[in-house]
Amino acid sequence: MIRLVCCLISIVIIKSAFAQDKPLLYNVDDLPQTLMTNPGAQINFTGHIGLPFFSQIHLSAGSTGVTLHDIFRDDGSNINMRIRQAMQKMDNTDYFSVNQQLEVLSLGWKLDRKNYLSMGIYQELDLFSYFPKDPAILVNEGNSNYLDENFYFDDLSLTAEIMTVYHLGINHKFDKRLTVGARAKLYSSIFNVESTGNTGRFITRTTPNGRNYYKHEIDNLDVLVNTAGFAPLKEKDSMTVEKATAELLSRSFFGGNVGFGLDLGFSYIVDEQFIVSGSVQDVGAVFQRSEVENYRYFGSYKTSGIEPLFPENGSKPYWDEFEDEVNENLQDETTNESYSTWRPVKANLGIQFGFGAAFLPCNYLTVKKVRYMNLIGMQLNGVRRPKGFVTRFTTYWDRKINEKHRLKVGYSIDDYSFTNIGLMYTTTFKKFNIYLAVNNLLAFPNLAKANNASLQLGMQFVFNREN
Amino acid sequence: MKSYLLAFKKLSLLAILATTFLACVKDVDINQKDDIVLSPAADVDLVIYQLDENDFKDSLTGALKTVISDTVRLEFLDDDYIQKDLTSVELFFKHKNTFPREIESKIRFLSERNQEQFSKNYTISAGAHNNPKTIERTKLIENDSIQLVRRSIKMVVELEVQPNGSTFEGELDFASRGLFRFDFK
Repeated sequence: MIRLVCCLISIVIIKSAFAQDKPLLYNVDDLPQTLMTNPGAQINFTGHIGLPFFSQIHLSAGSTGVTLHDIFRDDGSNINMRIRQAMQKMDNTDYFSVNQQLEVLSLGWKLDRKNYLSMGIYQELDLFSYFPKDPAILVNEGNSNYLDENFYFDDLSLTAEIMTVYHLGINHKFDKRLTVGARAKLYSSIFNVESTGNTGRFITRTTPNGRNYYKHEIDNLDVLVNTAGFAPLKEKDSMTVEKATAELLSRSFFGGNVGFGLDLGFSYIVDEQFIVSGSVQDVGAVFQRSEVENYRYFGSYKTSGIEPLFPENGSKPYWDEFEDEVNENLQDETTNESYSTWRPVKANLGIQFGFGAAFLPCNYLTVKKVRYMNLIGMQLNGVRRPKGFVTRFTTYWDRKINEKHRLKVGYSIDDYSFTNIGLMYTTTFKKFNIYLAVNNLLAFPNLAKANNASLQLGMQFVFNREN
Repeated sequence: MKSYLLAFKKLSLLAILATTFLACVKDVDINQKDDIVLSPAADVDLVIYQLDENDFKDSLTGALKTVISDTVRLEFLDDDYIQKDLTSVELFFKHKNTFPREIESKIRFLSERNQEQFSKNYTISAGAHNNPKTIERTKLIENDSIQLVRRSIKMVVELEVQPNGSTFEGELDFASRGLFRFDFK
């Protein structure tokens, strides 16, 4: 046990750079949404059906290096100076992230003593961009204050996707201790932009012994922006935001590119009070084949200026020659080559300890007929992003107030904050359940100063035949 | 049914609370977005040349041409970012001379119709093979004068060798750069 805790803490210290966006819904055995974070979770219901479009509304946004207050604070100082300071303070591993999910349909039922089937449809928007520090400083400040310094185009790294996900999952009680689960996913991607793995650098070298003051060098530039579903939007001259939104929504159901993925998970009852669980989500890819456009910029070039030759008869088209030389060495091309995008894989690992036994209606899947009024636990969540895993370490206290009300308080450490306190409340009247989970609660009184915030909200019917 | 209504009521209350929380954005003035300006300063090389006595000879007669010139079109001066967002330009010129004669340098910026917009003229001191003379000059153009840059499209470099009877042998190197400041609103 201690070894496991040490292991978890070590991983957090080594990789303090990741975040899962719904940590409070992990290991909540009476919420069907827990099956979406771990298909092999311990569950305490025999059926569920979500209110269409309202069974889960999830919003999450964050920025690791800057807050709204850093830029727009109302203290009389110059906003452009604040932007410069913020850009200097941020690093190319800082990132901006937006994730939104809307459950369109969600239902499930117990097939037999060992199996629970769940399925549904949800729509997801996921945007993740590292702060492109070097290109941003070059655009905002120019090269004048950065002579002999490299500007790396590697800093450009972003992914954005809007998709509809159709899923079918099974939760299977393997034996008295082990429960495993899997969820197959069919992705219908509506819109995708991806630009990762870029290379190249720009430098203005001072050349005291050279022919001119400087030598400007672009070396090994290779920037590729893949898009799918974007071309039709830009081709229409009369396209407005409203029309673009309508166009995207019209592709919501099987209107885009297709992909496949898998969630896998388990939970293991170590002893009466201890449960260990883990899962991986979205192990899969989307195959972007239709409405694809790839924009590539590549090449190397060096120059110290244009050289007139003082010919005897007239002048030469020096500028045209210079432009031709630049175009020959620094090229751009637009192609329509299919590409595949890996989904941002999420990994979860948790341990949970129960105390304060209560003889409430039992968990039909567990051998032990004892449930606990209090659960404390730790979990490590991670999401794979282009430059590595972003992790979050959460400890929580999950308190069952009575049969109807349940409260969970979590404390998380992640890239955004060391003071991330989250709160989840779920209540069930008869078979109707509503829940609300909020992360980074301390920041909510003034979100302008927050690096991140997220919220999950939903309502559904949850059935338990043992009730 | 009554329970469901109660649940809806509670949910609404929670939603309102959540919305209220989300609305708590304080001590900021988003209208400052209108004041955001990108102000890059681009330091770029312009024109270079390296001449020796052969560049001053008439190819037919071999006689010394005391005046030579050439014109370089700087097409980027007609681009949108120059025409709309340029706020100042500082030009730097440097000559290194080993010719044993003074040379008059005229650097002129002309419009498409060859009307001079601004110029920088100066004398390059005579140097020697082992003792090159270096001369540097700058030209700052800002405020209303920036229109002169916006109207320019050609850079004319002209050299006039001054007579003094010495043998005309040596080299003349020229370097130039521009520091262009912008305000992109």
